[in-house]
Amino acid sequence: MSKPEKSFWEKAQAIDRRVLYAVLIVCTAISLFFKTEIPVNPDDSSKDLYVSLMTIDPNKTVLIESDWTNSTRGESAGHFEALMRILMNRNIKFVLYSIADPQAPQVARDALLRIQEERKAQGLKVYEPWVDYLDLGYFPNAEGHLQAVGNNIRTAWGGRKERDEAGVERDVFTSPVLSGVRVVGDASLLIVCSASATIDIAVERLYGKVPLGFMVTGVMGPNALPYYQARQIVGMGVGLKGVYDVEYMMTYGVNYRVEGTNKPKVSYREESVTIPPVTEGTTFDRGARYFLPLHVALALMILAIILGNVAMFASRKKRVVA
Amino acid sequence: MNETFFWWKLTIGVIATIGLYSVLYRETKLYRFFEHLFLGLAAGFTLVALWKETLKPLWWDKMTGSATIDPITNVSTMDAPGYWVYGFLLPIGLMGYLVFTKRHNWMSRIPIGVILGFWSGQQVQIWWNRWGAQIYSSMQPVWPTTTDSFTRPYSADLPAPEQAYIAAQLYPSQAISNLIFVITILAALSYFFFSFDMKGRLLKGSNTLGRWLLMIGFGAIFGSTVMARFVLEIDRMSYIFVEWMDQTGKMFGGG
Repeated sequence: MSKPEKSFWEKAQAIDRRVLYAVLIVCTAISLFFKTEIPVNPDDSSKDLYVSLMTIDPNKTVLIESDWTNSTRGESAGHFEALMRILMNRNIKFVLYSIADPQAPQVARDALLRIQEERKAQGLKVYEPWVDYLDLGYFPNAEGHLQAVGNNIRTAWGGRKERDEAGVERDVFTSPVLSGVRVVGDASLLIVCSASATIDIAVERLYGKVPLGFMVTGVMGPNALPYYQARQIVGMGVGLKGVYDVEYMMTYGVNYRVEGTNKPKVSYREESVTIPPVTEGTTFDRGARYFLPLHVALALMILAIILGNVAMFASRKKRVVA
Repeated sequence: MNETFFWWKLTIGVIATIGLYSVLYRETKLYRFFEHLFLGLAAGFTLVALWKETLKPLWWDKMTGSATIDPITNVSTMDAPGYWVYGFLLPIGLMGYLVFTKRHNWMSRIPIGVILGFWSGQQVQIWWNRWGAQIYSSMQPVWPTTTDSFTRPYSADLPAPEQAYIAAQLYPSQAISNLIFVITILAALSYFFFSFDMKGRLLKGSNTLGRWLLMIGFGAIFGSTVMARFVLEIDRMSYIFVEWMDQTGKMFGGG
């Protein structure tokens, strides 16, 4: 006896998952080659983070806790690169360190090198180690380390040595980057670029001692939102949307009205704040490149869910009628 | 960086990406090979990093002291004297491994006890730092202070006193937003009352609303996670089809 022929809806329900993966890969890969600017209203948390970064004292050092590896490069690299561009554009000194993963410092170094090469090609100032930034590497025991930084940063980082301009290894607190830092609060901001729960540790150990800002993955975003809502952090960028938000604000400014227009492209609740667009270097990059493919991927998923549900209801109805 | 080396580095990355993504088709030997390769690399890298970035600067250098050697004169000057007392940390740390012997495993409790003591002592401050501000910020005003306008008016062009007046008001739109927040937090908390029976329309309704709101919250969290996973896939595609192809073009096409 021959099997009854499957209807279209029954076939639709039984699509091989490998076909769906192939469609996803092809569609996202193709959409990577289309450069389109998608207008957005940046999230309030992204605006607060960006405004903080653009208004901090340029003479003070920023601490960057880089707690991401290549496993979240899609989101975290975009955050980190945008942060580097902003700080270098404002000529702010910074310190890099990691507490989440021994691989994290090398990944941050690679990303920093990319930005340095980009700026060199654009004829912009290239940051010098020791003079403009310090790379302290990895510290084990995240909780213990941040507790020590909060209690006495000079003791916590006192043993670290870096090469100065002459190639001589010296204590990091003799460098121009950290010479003015006596307590952690002497830094203008601590940015945690993270894909893990180190954001919780930062709040637990350093809240109230130094202003905190987060750049986190989409997975960690919901975990970090209560900190933003409670004003424990100055602002945060979440996932790829956060990357695109920052790039968008770098391109169009905040509360900045182009002559002849009534409304700014990005309006901010504190109307006294006006931040003009960043005029030198790259603004739109990884966030802008991945934003369209993300929309394509989400559209595909929504379509697949609708198709699956319609197919289920249609085949169920057919069975009931039969 | 040398262009050829950079191309090979990218190419190996592309092969590894394809190898790992081959699991989407089925679990292949190629996938298994790259899975083990990654595990081995990560373990090896961690061991080196443990010595280079942790044990050497935080323990060995402090125990042996450090000196600076002038690259021109080759004369060394002492920066920090060595503290031999750091040597005692090694046996204390090694005691942790005695957990594997039946006779001496009591000694492993010494380092664990020290860690637990430090940890417990920090908890009060940690708890308050994390939750205190959140409890405080949950007390939101829900009654508007003005009805001049539904939403906060644009005030950038107004004089400073008027800007300050507008900034100090709670407009109805913000009051509604705060009210939704307060209802959500109360309903969600009521869902976790397990000590007594939920009787009466108010308690039952609040419990059900809490469950619904929690589900909506979990849905939003899941959506954010899905989005993050898509971005990881997009990044890999960008690595292969943009970065690698671009470098390949430069290598072989002279572009």
